[in-house]
Amino acid sequence: MTTTSTTRYKPVTAAIVEELRTITSPRNVLVDEEKIEAYSHDETDAQEYGHMPEVVVLPTTTEQVAAIVKLANRELIPITPRGAGSGLSGGAIPQFGGILVSLEKMNQLLELDVENMVAVVEAGMVTNDLAVYVQERGLFFAGYPMSLQTCVIGGNIAENAGGGKAVKYGVTGRYIQGMELVTPTGDVVWLGGKLSKDVSGYDLKSLVVGSEGTLGIATKAIIKLIGYPTAKADLLVLFKTPREAIDVVPVILSKGLTPTSIEFMDQLSIITSCKYLNESLPYEKAGAMLLIELDGTNAEQIEMDLIAAGQLCEEHGAIEVYVAEDRNNIERIWNVRRNIAEAFKVYSPIQSLEDIVVPISRIPEMIPELDKLSEKYHVKIPCYGHAGDGNLHATLVKDPDMSMEDWKKNEVACLRELYRITGELGGKISGEHGIGLKRKIFLKEVIDPVEMKLMQAIKVAWDPKNIMNPGKIFDLAE
Amino acid sequence: MKIIVPIKQVPETSNVKMDPETGTVIRAGVETVVNPLDLYALETALRLKEQHGGTVTALSMGPPQAVKALKEAVAMGCDDAVLVSDRKFGGSDTWATSYTLAQAVKKIGDYDLIIAGERATDGDTAQVGPGIASWLDIPVATYVARIETVKDKHIVLERLVEDGYQILSLPLPCLMTVVKEIAAPRLPTLGGKIRARELTIPVFSTENMELEPAALGLKGSPTKVVKIDTPKVTRGGKVVRAGDDEAVVSAVDELMSFLEAKGIV
Repeated sequence: MTTTSTTRYKPVTAAIVEELRTITSPRNVLVDEEKIEAYSHDETDAQEYGHMPEVVVLPTTTEQVAAIVKLANRELIPITPRGAGSGLSGGAIPQFGGILVSLEKMNQLLELDVENMVAVVEAGMVTNDLAVYVQERGLFFAGYPMSLQTCVIGGNIAENAGGGKAVKYGVTGRYIQGMELVTPTGDVVWLGGKLSKDVSGYDLKSLVVGSEGTLGIATKAIIKLIGYPTAKADLLVLFKTPREAIDVVPVILSKGLTPTSIEFMDQLSIITSCKYLNESLPYEKAGAMLLIELDGTNAEQIEMDLIAAGQLCEEHGAIEVYVAEDRNNIERIWNVRRNIAEAFKVYSPIQSLEDIVVPISRIPEMIPELDKLSEKYHVKIPCYGHAGDGNLHATLVKDPDMSMEDWKKNEVACLRELYRITGELGGKISGEHGIGLKRKIFLKEVIDPVEMKLMQAIKVAWDPKNIMNPGKIFDLAE
Repeated sequence: MKIIVPIKQVPETSNVKMDPETGTVIRAGVETVVNPLDLYALETALRLKEQHGGTVTALSMGPPQAVKALKEAVAMGCDDAVLVSDRKFGGSDTWATSYTLAQAVKKIGDYDLIIAGERATDGDTAQVGPGIASWLDIPVATYVARIETVKDKHIVLERLVEDGYQILSLPLPCLMTVVKEIAAPRLPTLGGKIRARELTIPVFSTENMELEPAALGLKGSPTKVVKIDTPKVTRGGKVVRAGDDEAVVSAVDELMSFLEAKGIV
């Protein structure tokens, strides 16, 4: 990890720290190395991507955030907004040092408006806190990702986070009806509102969602809620081959059944996770598995849909269809899926967690390509993920015996080839984790140059001094 | 081989709340599941059936909703199921429950083996299984961790005991309660679930069973719950502080004598 950078940005001086203390309060400005170290990395490899901020500020109001951003513009200091730091692409890492703005103290639910079925929250609110609060009132925030327990709403917005429920419920963006944004020049603006429809001009709110904190700092959000689905049931389906497993996905969807999740696991993922968990499912004979979840408010309907989906699987070559209808069994089968990454960490903690996305119908073509890459670059590539939306965690896992030097070389070469293949199959390099720092060098290789130019033009128009989370997604010509 | 597996429907325990006034479990809105420890009994029975042929019958005493637990047992692979249900059975303790279930076993008729879970996760008594054996006057083996052989009308099994294993040979019919080590339970299958949906589960009640009225329900239960109390946690931690190197030495001594006094070291 590097602590200094030679950039065009100006350093954070003692006078600037003092000014930040005046804007917020002395205890909400951190400069001690051991205190700010925690803000130097996210869930990506700290050694490889981490970078120390010069100062960490914990604002408590939108006005404070705006004042900090104005100061940064005036002094040409980079700003990195941060939620929970649970990102997987380095989006919240202060690559050029500067001021890190953590929204952790802006974590309150401001309003639950049941008539309009929305919640108004501060961006630092833990997503799980919101989910639990509204669930106790029979409501549901459906856009949340798998890291629900730790992540915060602001981070979800920045990454347009998605997760296991996207087949039915979509991703975060669908549930953001409005937001209060501090722009990169320090202005405060409300985009959207408590509105289900809004075509009054450009849809800037949607532009900000998924922009990885490069177009401003969302400070508040209006979140659309739906009724809580009280009934839930799952199928765990064993197939001989990945092809058979994937082929059944469009069959299920085209019959009008809309599962909440359709998760795919290849043989390597299944065996590793089952062994790690000491799980006795007859996984030896399965070349692939699907985990299909259905939910709704009518238990009888869910049961009928469950049987219908299961029978479709049987008609399309499933070896065995297991049903899980109570909490214990549902947890048991989801554990297999959830523990894949953990299980591989035991095998080898050094990995590159990927989230390529391809059209659903192309998933089977991806599997043999992964086998070839695995052989060519001597890495294990378990493939699992959200089959229902084509979003695959084809994760590169370092062979424990491989030297770090070889791994670094092979990782980059293997990713480059993986992303090229993904593109050829009509896919994109990230479905839910974002580009951030981690995939910046690869994005420019696969993206249409026209699209890149449009994005850069937007960035320049919004952030003329390029101080808002600079160096993420793409670089600007200096 | 004809096997009967008594199972119990229990509240799902991962988020159970207690009523602070009465000290009882708040059951409203709580999901019910098959007692997790009964799943090992079901698995054991299904494996024996796969090896030796025969049938497995799941048996449960409870309110009409307990049929859900029985359907899950059928979905796992049981051939049939019997629900023992009657308002007059309400309030049964382990004595009355095991009596009623033993009468249900007699009504089912022929059997070679009864396999029960170690205990239920709600009552935690581990008495009903052996109680049934007692009423039926058949041999019983508790905490069975492995089955060695079943032949010549005998079953050879390993019991888990305090300091190892005990190997027993029991004549059939007999009853055993099993521990987790015996076999990891399977999941219900779609085929099993569809069969369970279509299956009509007979209900045994005071109408169609031979029962001694005085032995039923609350009035047939010698156990009387007088009071339910939540034990107060009186453990007070001991904090040993050491500010500098010198203090550490005396702090370690203090800690050691504390641990010795408690018999920990």
